[in-house]
Amino acid sequence: MKRLAGALAIVWALANLVVAYLFLTNAFVAKTAIKEGPLAQAALLLGGLLVAVFAVLVAREGLALVRGTSRADA
Amino acid sequence: MTVARWLVVLCGIAIAVAGALVIAGQAGSGAQPWDSELSDNFIFVKAIPFVLGLGVAVGLLRGRGAPPLRRPDGTVRRFTTGTVLGHWLITIGFVLALPTGMWQYLGGILDVRAPIDLFLFYRVHYIGGAIVLFSVAMFVTSWWLSGDRSLLPPRGAWRTHLVGAAQELPRAVGARVARLLRLDLGERVPPPQRFTYYETGLSFPTWAIALTLITVTGVIKAMRYVVPVPGPILYWSSTLHVAAMVLIVIKVLDHLRYTLPRWPMMVAIVKGWVSEAGIRGVLTPSVPPSALGERPVAGAEAPGAPTRASAITGSDR
Repeated sequence: MKRLAGALAIVWALANLVVAYLFLTNAFVAKTAIKEGPLAQAALLLGGLLVAVFAVLVAREGLALVRGTSRADA
Repeated sequence: MTVARWLVVLCGIAIAVAGALVIAGQAGSGAQPWDSELSDNFIFVKAIPFVLGLGVAVGLLRGRGAPPLRRPDGTVRRFTTGTVLGHWLITIGFVLALPTGMWQYLGGILDVRAPIDLFLFYRVHYIGGAIVLFSVAMFVTSWWLSGDRSLLPPRGAWRTHLVGAAQELPRAVGARVARLLRLDLGERVPPPQRFTYYETGLSFPTWAIALTLITVTGVIKAMRYVVPVPGPILYWSSTLHVAAMVLIVIKVLDHLRYTLPRWPMMVAIVKGWVSEAGIRGVLTPSVPPSALGERPVAGAEAPGAPTRASAITGSDR
């Protein structure tokens, strides 16, 4: 069960990394600046960074569960 | 449960069923001139009062919860079946509402169209949103009735819980949080009660803020189809709805990051029952041993707070 939960966590984290990538890349394109303005760009940048950081942390925990090296296995 | 409460619950369920039948009848009559997307918008906004009412009725049904139980095999009941089901339900609501909401937002930013009709994204988003609305109404009613405040720091104990939460964070992050909130990381805190300090001091309060924000802004956005909503209010509701969505995306990730390595927490929310030793082991090391003191910090515990053992077996959540 731990491995399944770990695998699902990795899938969820990867999906969130895609979202973070789209947030970050679109924070810097001219179209966003014209359509949404600098505040939206800053929000995309901050949101993208935070989602990326937390997604990496979840992926790490998921990987540890799959490998059986999590604190949960101690 | 009193007869009066049963009557209120039955009336609530009957009204919700009647409302659903009328809404379905109107939508399926073939007399409406709207396209699929606008039709869904109307169905959703008309359903909101009934969804909230049904949530309150089910919350009333859950009542004051069940007494703490302990099995001979050393497991304790940490969550009632109602809480476990409610947690699953709101999880399903998020799984439906978050990706579809994210697509609506990112689709606009990227200026792309999916191969699936947009109204289907909205439809699934509304189903997920309705589930979240129901769950929020149900949990709030249930907690209000039971008087259970174990997920929040007691009155006057916020500082202690924030110190405990900051001590649980990685040192560099915890130090920044402590500096920001003017906390003393060296302060000794008593052992946590039912939930870890991270859960009571940081996690649950931010869940409450995010859910309140997304619920209120979502309802305002939906209301525009039946009542005139001033432009600036609609603009800020839309902006804050997206902000709340991103906050919830981060909150879900943080929740997983925190609970996955604390496996007894996962077991407890799936089964309701968990090994007492396991859950104690998760609660106690949530703050460094150096920060755990027997001397309670002023206001750390509410007068008459349950003992730790009974708190762990507390089941009215």
